[in-house]
Amino acid sequence: MKSLLELQDIYLNYKTENSLVEVIKGVNLKINSGENVAVVGKSGSGKTSLIMLIAGLEKVTSGKIIFEDQDISAYSEDELADLRKRKIGIVFQSFYLIPNYTALENVSLVLEINKIENAQKKSAELLDQFGLKDRLNHFPSQLSGGEQQRVAIARSIILSPKLILADEPSGNLDSENSKLIIQLLFKYSKQNNSSLILVTHDQSIAKECDKIIEIKDGKII
Amino acid sequence: MEKLFNFQDFKYAIRDLTRSYKKISTIIFTLFISLFVLSVILSLEYSLKKELNANAKILLGGDFEINTRNEKVDDQYFKKIEKFGIISSTVEFSTMLTNSTRSDAKTFFIRLKAIDQKYPLYGDVQSFPDKALSLLQTTKNSIVVNRKIFETLKLKVNDTVYIKQTPFKVVGYIESVPDLGRALLFGDFAVVSTNSFLNLNINTLGSFINYEYRVKLNNENINFKQEVENLTKNYPSYSVRYPENSSNNLKKLIDNFSQFLSLVSISAMLIAGIGIANTLISFINQKNISIAIMKSLGFTTSTIKKIFYFEIFTLLTIISLLAYLLAILSVPIVNAYLVKTLGIAVQSEFIIQNFIKVFLSGFLVVSIFCLPTISAIQQIKPTSLFRNVFQPCEFYFTKKNISLIILAIISLILLFAFDSKKPFYTIMYFLVFFIICLTLYGLSKLIIFYLRKINFIKFLPLRLAVKNITNPKTIFPITVLSLGLGVTLLLSLTLIGYNFKKEVQKSIPEIAPDYFFVSIQNTEKDEFVKYLKNNDKNAVIETMPIVSATLTKINKKDPLSYIKQNNDSFWVLERDRRISWSNTPPKDNPITEGNWFDANNKSLQISLDAKVAKDLNIKLNDSLTLKIYGREIEGKVTSLRKVDYRDLSINFVMLINPSFAANIPHEYIATAKFKNLPDFKEGAFLQKFKNISTIKVSDYLGKVTEIINKIFIAVIIISSIAVIIGLTVISSAVIVQARLSVYQNLIFKILGINSSNLILASIIEFLISFLSIIFIAVIFSIGVSYFVIEAIFKLNWSLEIINSSFVLLFIGTVTIILILLNNYKFLSPKVYPLVRNE
Repeated sequence: MKSLLELQDIYLNYKTENSLVEVIKGVNLKINSGENVAVVGKSGSGKTSLIMLIAGLEKVTSGKIIFEDQDISAYSEDELADLRKRKIGIVFQSFYLIPNYTALENVSLVLEINKIENAQKKSAELLDQFGLKDRLNHFPSQLSGGEQQRVAIARSIILSPKLILADEPSGNLDSENSKLIIQLLFKYSKQNNSSLILVTHDQSIAKECDKIIEIKDGKII
Repeated sequence: MEKLFNFQDFKYAIRDLTRSYKKISTIIFTLFISLFVLSVILSLEYSLKKELNANAKILLGGDFEINTRNEKVDDQYFKKIEKFGIISSTVEFSTMLTNSTRSDAKTFFIRLKAIDQKYPLYGDVQSFPDKALSLLQTTKNSIVVNRKIFETLKLKVNDTVYIKQTPFKVVGYIESVPDLGRALLFGDFAVVSTNSFLNLNINTLGSFINYEYRVKLNNENINFKQEVENLTKNYPSYSVRYPENSSNNLKKLIDNFSQFLSLVSISAMLIAGIGIANTLISFINQKNISIAIMKSLGFTTSTIKKIFYFEIFTLLTIISLLAYLLAILSVPIVNAYLVKTLGIAVQSEFIIQNFIKVFLSGFLVVSIFCLPTISAIQQIKPTSLFRNVFQPCEFYFTKKNISLIILAIISLILLFAFDSKKPFYTIMYFLVFFIICLTLYGLSKLIIFYLRKINFIKFLPLRLAVKNITNPKTIFPITVLSLGLGVTLLLSLTLIGYNFKKEVQKSIPEIAPDYFFVSIQNTEKDEFVKYLKNNDKNAVIETMPIVSATLTKINKKDPLSYIKQNNDSFWVLERDRRISWSNTPPKDNPITEGNWFDANNKSLQISLDAKVAKDLNIKLNDSLTLKIYGREIEGKVTSLRKVDYRDLSINFVMLINPSFAANIPHEYIATAKFKNLPDFKEGAFLQKFKNISTIKVSDYLGKVTEIINKIFIAVIIISSIAVIIGLTVISSAVIVQARLSVYQNLIFKILGINSSNLILASIIEFLISFLSIIFIAVIFSIGVSYFVIEAIFKLNWSLEIINSSFVLLFIGTVTIILILLNNYKFLSPKVYPLVRNE
């Protein structure tokens, strides 16, 4: 399988007033196209920070992030934004839909900014597949937590991204909805041949992935 | 490179705007009000000037006018002018009109206009009855008076009034005359025929008589000006006026007034700008999750900023268009008032230049305040979405947006200074405004600096208040800035309003005379004084000789060739002035430079008003040429005096040395202050001295206060609008602060801190900001109001402590009520929605 993402000896440090906090310490990781990877570890171990680095939302202190053979750690803010726009989908624990956009608009926005035609039609079809046909014109505040997360997943996969980053996507949901969400993520990442990096505390979910990496004190163990 | 306009981004902006407009209602409200006020001022100014220009011939009364001052036109000259067209001759002079010859007669000081049958050459006289003007020519010794005299004296058609004891039959009254003469605009007047005027046998030295000849061209297309000028060169005391100069004084008044109101409205707009910045930063803070999501989806910061700019400038375009259109519709409402006051009817018109100025003003103000606000989007990190921690963002200054802000400020100043008649005042005004802003901002930073050093406070509400102020993301500087500017503006307008009101209501000063007497002949002066003394032996009588003189040259150069009409002292050159002489300097005219006249020097020496000397660039020992009785005499400026024309005593712009003036034929002007005013009967006096005109100071002041009252009303209307905007801005600042502390209040609530402590903390926080701005607001408002009252309106300024304190108390109370009302719902937040991150 072809390598999609490679982290080469990456470090992430934060400076506070009096000290230096080392969050990620020399992580090396390789993820292939279409591979599912679970990231596990205790709170504060650096899981989310790792996701933020891969998404290009944080800059590495040192090391390289190679995405599709390109060193994205040297990219500018705008180049990283463009990369996210075209190739990375993100799912958050707290769903984070745009509050004054409808479910349909939240999904179609991704297609529109990529200048893809029939954005609304395509988004409606996908939401239909997600069982949200009757919720297309509802605002996030009118949806349940499970429905909001389904919209968020639809938004992350609509463009068939190369990489999906999911930060505890079922963390705020009941077990039934949790199961449904994870199934959707696996189904569509496989269908689109997208790689999936899934941060989770749930060992049963982690076990369903192709690979499990555990982080402790900013290092992969 | 990213395109400046992208339709997709514009679509997002419109979508967001239509769904979020309620959250930015402060922006919509303050922007609309301030742009509407500016639009009304610009529309009215334009319409008035257009009307004056369009009716220039009517206002002048002819294609050109020859003013021969106090002498009849030369026959030869008249014949030469006659070939250009029809000539209408009028005579104007000041006199007294009474309703009877009894000693208790009611009197009016009027400008009497004698007209011939050809009057008016242009326009119409509005009279009652309609034929009153023709009756004037056919009825012997008939008169029409202005409506005020007709109503005050309860006259009826065919009643009799008297001028210099000569009876005149009232054939009607006049609503308006087309040629708004210099003196007829605000004063009382009456019109008689030239024949009736001759019956008055006016026999004075003519100081107050003016002969005017208006010409209506036979052929409008001929180039007559050069020929008329050449003819007039031989008659140095004659002057020619053309339609373009027909209403200079009125235009100057409109210019000054619209400049003042425009600057007040731009202040309101700049204060609104702070409200816009406050509301927008609050709006961005409320949308920080959406912004972070957009960034996580791949929107660049510049694209998101562009969407916000599209939103705000779309709003600005709609609001400025709406404000301008509504302003045009409001012109007819003002029109009704103008027709009554000035006899001018103005038309509503959409003028693209005015709309552009309104839009540009809004655009620049919005840009100044939105640049650091929208740039704050830079601070919103999508990583917050992983951590669920959102810090409120604050104004964000980069080198680029600081440069753009400076450019916008300079453009705004230039926009207003460009078509201003006094660009210096405009630039000064903006300078002061920005100095106030910087001072208040500096003050807030200083307070934060010192409060951070305090760490011994035990009292919980005070600790909370200090913590809120010194918080790294504090909005304390913005609160101080908006509150400070609001209070400074309100206090300035209060002091301006108070001083206007004081001028309106003020009683006649103790030392002011009761009467002015004019046209006292040299031969009757002693008898006049004796009469008054007999009437009241304690009467204080002051007499001064007067003669008409025209300042024709300054240092041998014609001043009209280089001094412009917008010069503050142009009035001195415009026509002949009354001058006098005295052995000693007048008591209330202190000499500021030079020495009083050298009694041994018989050549002409001149003592000049220091302000006029400064305006006309005349220095001590400069030569001035005066034309007295047609003869030009060169003299030297030997002293400058500080003259205050507001003290109601006899004041002259020029005094000359008695040793030179001794043999000049002259008449007298006098003032009298009586011990017992009611004992002086004007009617009886006029029976005795029919050629002397009396001006009762209280009547004169009544006319002045009537005009000031009208200005006061306009200032109050504009002030109220600024007050509303100021309070809205303060209110929006309070809401922003309250909304930001809602999460903090929730935590306090969970920890068990009760609401009363939170309320007390917010009151203390307000008091710290309010008390700190009072001193600065008071200092600046004193300076601003002093400048407006003394320099622009030439009135007397005084500080009014009680009213000012009341205003401060009022603002403080209203603001604290607004704070408590706005804080109320945020003080006890519902736990559930916040815990759910809703």
